[in-house]
Amino acid sequence: MSGTDHATIANFFRRLLGGVPLLGWLLGFLAAVLIEQAVGTPLAQILSLPKMPVLFGILTISKVIAAVINAVFKDAAFDPAILVHVPAALAYLALVYLAPIAAVARISARASNRAATAMGRWNLLVPAAVHLGLMYAALHTWAGMSDYRLITLKITLIAVLLTLSLNIINGYMGEFSCSHPGFMAVGAYMSSLFTVGLFVDDKVLGKALVVFSLDFLNFPLALIFGGLCASVAALLVAIPSFKTRGDYLAIISLAFLFIIKSLFENLQGLGGSRGIAGQPDWAALPVIFAVVGLGIWSINNFVTSTYGKALNAVRDDELAAEAMTVNTRQAKMTAFLVGAFWAGVAGGLLAHVLRYINPAMFGIQKLAEVLAMVYFGGLNSVYGSIVGAVSIGLLGEALRPLEILKWIIIPLLLILVMIYRPTGLVAFRDFDLREAMGPKTEPGQRK
Amino acid sequence: MRKGRLLIAVLLCAGLVISPSVWAASDVINIGFPIPLTGDNPDVGASSKNAAEMYLKKFPTVDVGGKTYKLNFIYEDNEFKAESAVKALTKLITEEEVLAIIGPQASAQAVPAGEIANNNATPMISPWSTNPNTTLNRPYVFRGCFLDPFQGPVAANFVTEELGAKKAAVLYDIASDYPKGLAEFFKQAFEKIHGPGSVVAFESFTTGDKDFSAQMANIVASGADVLFTPQYYSEVPLIVRAAKENGFTKPIMGSDSWGSGDLMGLCGDDCKGFYFSTHYAAAGAKGATKEFIDEYTAAYGKTPDDVAALTWDSLGIMIQAIQNTGGLSGNIKADRTKVKDALAAIKDYPGITGKMTFTPEGDPIKCAVVVKINEEGKFAFHESVCP
Repeated sequence: MSGTDHATIANFFRRLLGGVPLLGWLLGFLAAVLIEQAVGTPLAQILSLPKMPVLFGILTISKVIAAVINAVFKDAAFDPAILVHVPAALAYLALVYLAPIAAVARISARASNRAATAMGRWNLLVPAAVHLGLMYAALHTWAGMSDYRLITLKITLIAVLLTLSLNIINGYMGEFSCSHPGFMAVGAYMSSLFTVGLFVDDKVLGKALVVFSLDFLNFPLALIFGGLCASVAALLVAIPSFKTRGDYLAIISLAFLFIIKSLFENLQGLGGSRGIAGQPDWAALPVIFAVVGLGIWSINNFVTSTYGKALNAVRDDELAAEAMTVNTRQAKMTAFLVGAFWAGVAGGLLAHVLRYINPAMFGIQKLAEVLAMVYFGGLNSVYGSIVGAVSIGLLGEALRPLEILKWIIIPLLLILVMIYRPTGLVAFRDFDLREAMGPKTEPGQRK
Repeated sequence: MRKGRLLIAVLLCAGLVISPSVWAASDVINIGFPIPLTGDNPDVGASSKNAAEMYLKKFPTVDVGGKTYKLNFIYEDNEFKAESAVKALTKLITEEEVLAIIGPQASAQAVPAGEIANNNATPMISPWSTNPNTTLNRPYVFRGCFLDPFQGPVAANFVTEELGAKKAAVLYDIASDYPKGLAEFFKQAFEKIHGPGSVVAFESFTTGDKDFSAQMANIVASGADVLFTPQYYSEVPLIVRAAKENGFTKPIMGSDSWGSGDLMGLCGDDCKGFYFSTHYAAAGAKGATKEFIDEYTAAYGKTPDDVAALTWDSLGIMIQAIQNTGGLSGNIKADRTKVKDALAAIKDYPGITGKMTFTPEGDPIKCAVVVKINEEGKFAFHESVCP
């Protein structure tokens, strides 16, 4: 295929779908998941797939690749019939997701543009509520079809919040902080202490202190408590950051991570290395969705406010910022406190999703994971954090059948991104809510 | 337009031709293995997979209620991480629709995974997890190994009776769940025999430490008759060498974690003559145990460690339970509960690591073995201790 063909195809798609606002895409996604719910299983059977593809067919394909690799290198038994799964999974993806999303988005483009324009005149809360409602409905239906999707979605949403909170420090403020899993650990432990200690009979933490039937209403309190404790712990890193920068801050924050980890290992009152189990099952999908949504909204507001601009000034040139009346100490302090707060909240959510925590969960491995998400997605960008966390999270899940090869493919991708886009996929992009939810004019047509 | 219709018709026909092979899958029993194939501890995953593969080669089918089923094992990588273990387990249960689960091995993954198995009413045996929380209040979750509250007293009694120890020292990793628990149970049991203060040195270190001279100096100064160190095979050689260098000449006692991996390859002559309590003894084994060891050694070129042996037994007892159901209905949810009930009812299953019967909590009652590392560097049977 020649270059001009590429250009024509790209142009065709741009002309076809360029004018579709976010509202249209969400409607398309909702339509796709409703179609999947209605005909997914019979369609999968017709396509000779053993089951409905759970992660858009990627998992099915990587399973086939893994089987081929095992057959070639390890002389494992190989059933050629499964090769059919690759085109079948792609066909499924096209029939259930791509085609309906494109069709609905295109057909509804005019109407959804009009609706977006109309909503744009009202308070921002109205379009936000409509978009979030649609998104939640689509995700809820999607996750409702399989528990595996549900747990993957929950953990991915938490990863989004964690990545974004680290982006405040590493992206917006431009410091290399390694302490984030530590903040997460504090949040996870403290919110577990709150819920398990107060509301659950536990061997380590003793009998429930409070018994009343609506105790799950206290889950937000537990999360806030966890987040605040993480913020307090963050002072330990924030104060040295006044005088140190770059590599030295990285080392200090890494030391902090180890301190927190050994602290929880040695605190026998909190279960020591055995950890705490039996957190109440309060972290349902709507709760996580709401908390993560709130987190993204408030972090976005924070980084686009004067505080956020002050952080950018500190990142670009601390001395110049100081000279231009930016209170650099205050800026650094707020960045650490806000970042740690949301990391703590993410930790609290994770603890109640897994319903078990131990100190080993919050080690170097977690740090590598969240750093990869931040730098893959893009520095200084809310979009980037969402893209990074979702893509690394889903990729990690979809490539699981490849076992050790997964740990070659994902780092390789990361290296490629670092070579071709050194600041990440979607770096330095402002997330303007009004623009994101507003109408899109069709190309060639004036506003 | 006509072309499109033709294409759809062809696709539908093709689907119908191929799909019977999918529907015929009801003659297969799927068993899931959420094990660490990558991550911090791939040896554990490899041992589990080796044992399972060997089992599959030996018994590719199983007869349940007069019908022959093909066994199909599905290995899912849990990366030695709690989150991954939870996702892997959910995937096995909801996507692969396994009848039963063997794994995860380590407690850090088995505790959260057990929650998922129990919530989804799927029988699970963790061959290697020693954390009480794994099976606590979870009727669908079982384990394949004895617990530390049993192993601690075994070691304490052994050093008292066989080695004549009156004062003991303990060296353990405070940051790791298993050694810490066991060290405490040993201390409790030893002080119950010899009175408070008889554990004269209770020294700790942190995972990854390589230098034990400070702790050894304290242990030597305390005048202990024996050193108990419930550490993993990779740390034991360092500890034993540190003991020698610091002039500690008394016997050293270990726990089942000594038996996994390549202890003698790393330790050489230094470890000879010491004892540890474990699930089974490789040297001098008889009957089915010997058969298992020989076959495993022939297939993989190394002596099976305790993970392999426990995985083998957990798998065996699970298959036994499936057979004891007397027939599967094909309704996976009902069958899972039937298997769980059969599993709880099994009495004295003759495993290669000893006879197994589950308590109502899902923990097995089985004997421990004390082995001596003999002059040839083999783990030789010394004595058997039953509860």
